[in-house]
Amino acid sequence: MNHLLSFSSSLQGYLAVGAILFALGIFCVLTRKNAIGILLGIELILNAAGINFVAFSKFRTGLIDGQIVALFIMLIAAAEAAVALAVILRFYRLKQTIDADEASILRN
Amino acid sequence: MGETLHNVMLLAPEVCITLFLCLLFIVDGLFPSLRSNRFPMILTVVACIASMILTAKVGKTPAAYFGGMVVNDGFTTFFRYLFFFTAAVSSYVAFGSKEVEAKSRIEFSLLLLCVTVGMSLMASASNLLVLYMGIEMVSIISFVMAGFRRDNLRSNEASFKYLVFGGVASALMIYGFSLIYGLTGSLNYSQIAASLIAAQGNVGLITWLALVLIYSGLAYKISAFPMHFWAPDVYEGAPTPITAFFSVGPKAAGFAALLRILLTVFAVKTGDGNWKAVEGLSLTSIIAVISAATMIVGNLSALGQTNVKRILAYSSIAHVGYMLMGLVTLDRSGITAIIFYLIAYCAMNIGAFWVVGVVSNIRGREDLEAFRGIGWSMPVLGTCMAIFIFSLTGIPMFSGFIGKFLIFGSVIKSGGFLWLALLGVLNSVVSLYYYVKILKSMWLDKPETEESLRLPFYHAVGLVGLAIPTIVLGLYFTPILEFAEKTLATLL
Repeated sequence: MNHLLSFSSSLQGYLAVGAILFALGIFCVLTRKNAIGILLGIELILNAAGINFVAFSKFRTGLIDGQIVALFIMLIAAAEAAVALAVILRFYRLKQTIDADEASILRN
Repeated sequence: MGETLHNVMLLAPEVCITLFLCLLFIVDGLFPSLRSNRFPMILTVVACIASMILTAKVGKTPAAYFGGMVVNDGFTTFFRYLFFFTAAVSSYVAFGSKEVEAKSRIEFSLLLLCVTVGMSLMASASNLLVLYMGIEMVSIISFVMAGFRRDNLRSNEASFKYLVFGGVASALMIYGFSLIYGLTGSLNYSQIAASLIAAQGNVGLITWLALVLIYSGLAYKISAFPMHFWAPDVYEGAPTPITAFFSVGPKAAGFAALLRILLTVFAVKTGDGNWKAVEGLSLTSIIAVISAATMIVGNLSALGQTNVKRILAYSSIAHVGYMLMGLVTLDRSGITAIIFYLIAYCAMNIGAFWVVGVVSNIRGREDLEAFRGIGWSMPVLGTCMAIFIFSLTGIPMFSGFIGKFLIFGSVIKSGGFLWLALLGVLNSVVSLYYYVKILKSMWLDKPETEESLRLPFYHAVGLVGLAIPTIVLGLYFTPILEFAEKTLATLL
């Protein structure tokens, strides 16, 4: 129990969570065929970066700038999701699917 | 308060564009009948010209402002001119095209001006957060612009692919930024550089991982190997005027960000005005390999294509390869050559895509067949296309030749990367094949039916306006070179 507590209040713990989220995000982006799934993968990577920024700013630099970056990442993620959902919806209207493999008119 | 006001004054060109954006919104709300005529275009061009004038006014003394987050130096000034010019020309192109419908012209102007502010921020950022905001501002709005023809499946697919690739690339990049922040404890370029120098070549695996991740984001913006996959599909599917803009504006912005990071974070200025890589982080041989791969992939993939828009998309990837070549020497002549190349590339590439757009409006498609004999029925269009194509190939007397000559020359002079220069020349020869295919179709093949086509005066003026600098810069280039040198001398 003590080990777990010290791990959760150390930089390494947060970085580990960030790294796991990052790996899951990459895995999600690479394996999902569904456009919403890919979008979720992107969000996971963004949040991994956010956790890193907050952890570094708390344990390493002691400055607030890392936490501000984390706020901006959330903002960007929201903006990106809004545009992404609009694009995906449009694609669905025309193709009746959101499978990324179906986006195949434009190719060599 | 006074300090902030002074800082905002230095940001005047961007503020000006933003104000015009608001004005467009208000005018559109008050007078909806204005949206379908040329009014939004005129306002966009006026906004760009006003911002250029302001750029000239604020660009006098190099300075860092907003707590060192943004810098205003000769480098920023150059890229601001380039972006505002590109935006003005793109809106002129778009308003003559059937692909941008009359009823949504005002949206086009709004989105274009938004992207222009983002590009401008990318060029002046000297802080990772500002750079990220600039890149996202350009990316997210570009997704919308690529899907501008809402009921067109190709346009939607372009937007969809752009979104997936762009989202992943920028997410990877910000994770890389977080690692750099952890390693160096700062977001500011100068402080990151200071702690990299202090590490004295003691560079761990994590630094390299961070570099790879950041590169993936920037490579996506300039469509360099291995993040170039999206470019042909997006360029083909997006409306042609928007493709013309994508292939120049955001790409140049990506180069601005890449150059600034490489020259201020990963290299130190030496006394004679050149740069030296930070100890343990010598990126030049990696850039050489990337440059070679980008050229080869772009040129070889273009060979088998029949869609002219796609050929030009691959050719624009190849041109990124040529431009990256100027970075391997890390000296003044190489970077000056890149800046010159960007100017030449801007005029000739927009011009070439413009011609494709005009032909596609007439014929409804843009494959080589659609270009048959079009040189004879519209001689001005055909001649302008010939000039742009010759310049893109790098035939003497045109600006593209001078650009290539300067870049290859700087690589050969430095001596270390002779193979790269040789590869560049070989690639130019290969590229001649697919460029000439377009010209052959335009001038040597007879059209199927005798038809009388007339190039609208609106397009003729613009095309000739881009063809003239393409020729003039090929013959009389010293002033531009001096300007490029001056641009670099004040890089902060």
